[in-house]
Amino acid sequence: MGADSGPGAPAAAPWRKVLYGRQPYPDNYVDRRFLAELRRNVGVQQLRYWSVAREAGLVGQQVSCVAVFVALWSSLDGGALPPAALLWGGLLAALLGYGLHGALGGGTGGRTRWADLQSAAIFLAFTFGFSPVLKTLTESVSTDTVYAMSALMLLAHLLFFPYARPSPPGSLSLNAALFGSVCLASRLPGALHAFAMLTWALLLFALWPCLLQRLRDRAPRAFPWAAALVSLAGVGGLSGLWPGGSVLLLLTLLALTLACPLLLVRLQRHKDNIHGPWDEAEIREDLSRFLD
Amino acid sequence: MVLKIFFPQCCTTADSGLLVGCWIPDQDSAVVLAVVHYPFIPGQVKRYLTEIRSQTDVDLTVLGSWSMPKEGQEGMDSFLKDLSTIFPHSRWLQLSREIGKRGFTCQVVRKGGMFLKEQAKEGEGSVRDENEKVIIVHYDQRKVMLSQLHPVQEGVSHSKMEQSALRAVFHTVAQSHPLFFIDKYDDGPLKLTHWQSEGREASIIAELVKQGSVPVCKLLTWMLSLWSWLGSIRLLNVPPVRFISSKLSTCVQLGYRTEHLQTVSSTRKATEHMEFMRKANIFVSFLLDMALGLLLIAWLYRENRIGKLASTLVPVADVRVPYPSKNHLDLSGLKMNRALDQVLGRFFIYHIHLWISYIHLMSPFIEMILWYVGLSACLGLTFALSVLSDMVALLTFHIYCFYVYGARLYCLKIYGLSSLWRLFRGKKWNVLRQRVDSCSYDMDQLFIGTLLFTILLFLLPTTALYYLVFTLLRLVVVLFQGLIHLAVDLLNSFPLFAMGLRVCRPYRLAEGVKFRVLCEEEGTPLHLMMEINPIKVSAVLQYYRTPTYSCYPRDSWMALCKKLFVGELIYPWKHKTTKTD
Repeated sequence: MGADSGPGAPAAAPWRKVLYGRQPYPDNYVDRRFLAELRRNVGVQQLRYWSVAREAGLVGQQVSCVAVFVALWSSLDGGALPPAALLWGGLLAALLGYGLHGALGGGTGGRTRWADLQSAAIFLAFTFGFSPVLKTLTESVSTDTVYAMSALMLLAHLLFFPYARPSPPGSLSLNAALFGSVCLASRLPGALHAFAMLTWALLLFALWPCLLQRLRDRAPRAFPWAAALVSLAGVGGLSGLWPGGSVLLLLTLLALTLACPLLLVRLQRHKDNIHGPWDEAEIREDLSRFLD
Repeated sequence: MVLKIFFPQCCTTADSGLLVGCWIPDQDSAVVLAVVHYPFIPGQVKRYLTEIRSQTDVDLTVLGSWSMPKEGQEGMDSFLKDLSTIFPHSRWLQLSREIGKRGFTCQVVRKGGMFLKEQAKEGEGSVRDENEKVIIVHYDQRKVMLSQLHPVQEGVSHSKMEQSALRAVFHTVAQSHPLFFIDKYDDGPLKLTHWQSEGREASIIAELVKQGSVPVCKLLTWMLSLWSWLGSIRLLNVPPVRFISSKLSTCVQLGYRTEHLQTVSSTRKATEHMEFMRKANIFVSFLLDMALGLLLIAWLYRENRIGKLASTLVPVADVRVPYPSKNHLDLSGLKMNRALDQVLGRFFIYHIHLWISYIHLMSPFIEMILWYVGLSACLGLTFALSVLSDMVALLTFHIYCFYVYGARLYCLKIYGLSSLWRLFRGKKWNVLRQRVDSCSYDMDQLFIGTLLFTILLFLLPTTALYYLVFTLLRLVVVLFQGLIHLAVDLLNSFPLFAMGLRVCRPYRLAEGVKFRVLCEEEGTPLHLMMEINPIKVSAVLQYYRTPTYSCYPRDSWMALCKKLFVGELIYPWKHKTTKTD
């Protein structure tokens, strides 16, 4: 079992690393060249702090998105914001976003303007038509249950969000976010409130990540500024609702964006992967050329 | 090799004479059917035997001789021994009784005069090859003749080889009844002793009924043919009428009774046992049915019971479906949606309103209708029950409608929910592979799908409650109808005649035999008494049940629960129609 050792070792032909030939050595014998093929940390990238912090900004940004949404909801619920104003604001934001999306170029991905208009029309008609139904949906459910459900759903949204590539939206995360927003929207005083809320939910959870993805691809320098803007909006919006909460949010954001990347980079040093010929083979080339 | 001789009990005290019977070749047995007494002319005996052999299927021969010692007939023995040369035989039996002994001795003579000694006791140590053990089995001839072995093997026994000894014995005795026509009062050339030799039994009433039944059957058959011609005219065979008449149990029952009557009233005499039993069962159950129906009429038409029934029926019919109100149910923690609740409630209440006005329209006529419908009970209790079942079905038609609405709504909802739940998780049902696969949906689809999912989910308790209430009501009605059908089916198919036969004359339905040792004396063969073992009561039901439609549950409990949960429409009773052969 050990390397060549001791006088007891039979000194016949040199040991070869084969099993198909009979050798005077036992089957589990290894010689001095054992572990010569060991490689350490082959595929490990060297992370740099600021690029990691930049990517972590996406996570922080998403958390503040949720915070913005909750702030909007509470202001609508409290009556501080009239729904009509919110609707117009939403329309404006949508148009701006659409313009930005087009301006950043890169093609429309196979969708014509007409198809986009159709989608918007369907969505508006549907939501407007169903908003009276949606308003009375959770009437018989107690408030605590509604809040708990929404919180759970928004948490699920954050957990399952496809941070690597936000653009084709992950089904579960988007659906969870919409479910939570419908639960919250059904608590609002009027049908128009519910409609406004749902419009903003779609903007924030469905359309904004697409724009963000575009930004990340085309204008990488503007991306951190957009994320920072959203974070600030989140903190600010929450401060009106619950100052303690906004402080908490700020701390969380700082931790996520600054402290966690530091931790990651520091811990990277301790990474110790060993590779060798005993690893499972990974097929790196594209085998689709064989499928014909 | 044991030779079994089946000896009728009535012949144990007969005078000396010739044994007439039948050999059962493979099983080495002989069945003695009668004893021909002295004086006789051998030629006449032979002629008589050939005559009987041509009438029946039985291979009658002279088996041997029987000697009962009496004063004045000492020379009989040797005379009878000499007879063995006259009649053709392969084996000749010589049975004889002796004064002072209960059993009788038996000597078997092979053709060619080889004398075979019989063995007096069983189980003797020495074995001699040419020795034959003889067992004499006594049987009650009348009982065996009338009895039928079960399971019944119908049809001409094309291969007698496959019959067991018992079956062969029963068959032989049953087939030989022409042999038993001559009794001791007849002035023919031969004097026989068998079970009927004391005098043929007959009853005047039975004869009169037999004579009278022929024209009655002819009349019935003509009437039934008229009825079935009526039933088959084009107007009544239009598909909607057909559909309705297949659902109304009165029409079904009418059809069955017509069929039964046709079986009973056919003028052809029943040749086989099963056919006879079936006719008899149907006839008796029909009589019972009519009797019960007439009793019902006698009870119903007294003291203005019909009027009382009519006046209680109308308020019962407009039973108000309990309308679940929000206040009442929120206490129990159910999440009812008020808007949907109001919509559904209004819809159903409108229906009930329609139904009630219809009933009120009919209410002055109800008593008259009931009076005339009650008269139909004279056709039998089964008819009255079928009419009751149909009336219940008609009066609770609105419950059935509500159940269908509620079930369809609930089913749609469950289906939609399950499909949208898959969308929620980002999966989809692969129809080709019959499994759930992942799928990348469009933004539009995701949005609208989630919205619908939320709506359906929150509206589920309301719909489920309505569904539950209507399903329960429907199940109650179905149970009640099922009970009635069970009673009707019981009346239709219970084999009363066979059961009565089993109770009063158990020997007629035989499952097997049992043997009792009669006498075991030295110097005589073993005497056994064969007694008929009647079939069990449950076996009577199994063999003789008249096939009619039987109601039994279509689904097992698990399948039923699953259907209820998913919202599929349930029709719990399946009517099995069996074809009568």
